[in-house]
Amino acid sequence: MDQSEIRAKILEIISIYAKNKDAVVSATDETNILQDLKVNSARLVDVILDLEDAFDIEVDDEDADNVNTIGDAISLITAKI
Amino acid sequence: MSLPAATRFNLFVQREVGRLLSVVWIPASAFILSVIMRYRVRDVRELRRRFRALVRATDKPILICPNHLTMADSALVTWALGGSWWYLFHYRWVPWNLPEYHNFASVWLSRMAAWVTKCIPIVRGGERAQVANVLKRIQHVVSRGETAIIFAESGRSRTGRIQMETIAHGMGRIVNSIPDCHALCVYLRGDRQDRWSTIPKRGDSFYVDFEVFRPESDNSGMRRSRDFAMQIADRLVQLEEKYFARQRATA
Repeated sequence: MDQSEIRAKILEIISIYAKNKDAVVSATDETNILQDLKVNSARLVDVILDLEDAFDIEVDDEDADNVNTIGDAISLITAKI
Repeated sequence: MSLPAATRFNLFVQREVGRLLSVVWIPASAFILSVIMRYRVRDVRELRRRFRALVRATDKPILICPNHLTMADSALVTWALGGSWWYLFHYRWVPWNLPEYHNFASVWLSRMAAWVTKCIPIVRGGERAQVANVLKRIQHVVSRGETAIIFAESGRSRTGRIQMETIAHGMGRIVNSIPDCHALCVYLRGDRQDRWSTIPKRGDSFYVDFEVFRPESDNSGMRRSRDFAMQIADRLVQLEEKYFARQRATA
């Protein structure tokens, strides 16, 4: 799976929880998931659990602490798969 | 889970200064709650007897997880469970708190008061690394035999009932990260508390009930923490249903 496929899957999952749907369409690697996409911090856990299912990986709480942007999420998944 | 030595030292200083000043701030807090605000806790003797029996009998780490309706909840839960004088001789059971930084940080006096009263400020929804740093401090103090309050919901309930969609993952994470950590689920509600508010109405009478248990999960990683958080929330919902069933029965 290449990075563009990973990114597309991540954005597909985040779009379910994002309050700012428009920002999801134009998201870049630097887009902050909480602040720019307006994902509630409690919902970020759901995003990461959905990513676990989608990519068949396991994420620890400490790993998740480093996920602030779309780029962080791509890096985490790339390192795990 | 280990903290830098400087952070551990800062927590030690904060706790010990708070302990020294506790002869002032604990009775003063109880005075504000019971005399100025005229709050009452129903069946308070039995409640405190149960709580004191629990802490005497256990050597397990305990995280206190209450529901959240007002900004006075942590003070009320602490006062309801232990009273005031008891805490002077059992200071480790005065729980650490995680107040939202922006609620009190603008005034230096409230910052100082929060520091003395075992508060560690947190910016809800802030940078994840900063939030994780605060949670690590709570893990540290709870794993060393103290206790802390983490509200089950990530904000005061807008509906007046426990909101499962806002369950705070952090409490599950802390319980997961400390071996054999138990959750003390506390349900607190004023008789005149329909929905969320800043503080309860003056003269309100509070129903308080609690239950302690060890969450279980076959999962690992973040999913295990999530399972723990949801189990704690489920227990609180059961306590809430018990409250409303009791209200209906006495209506």
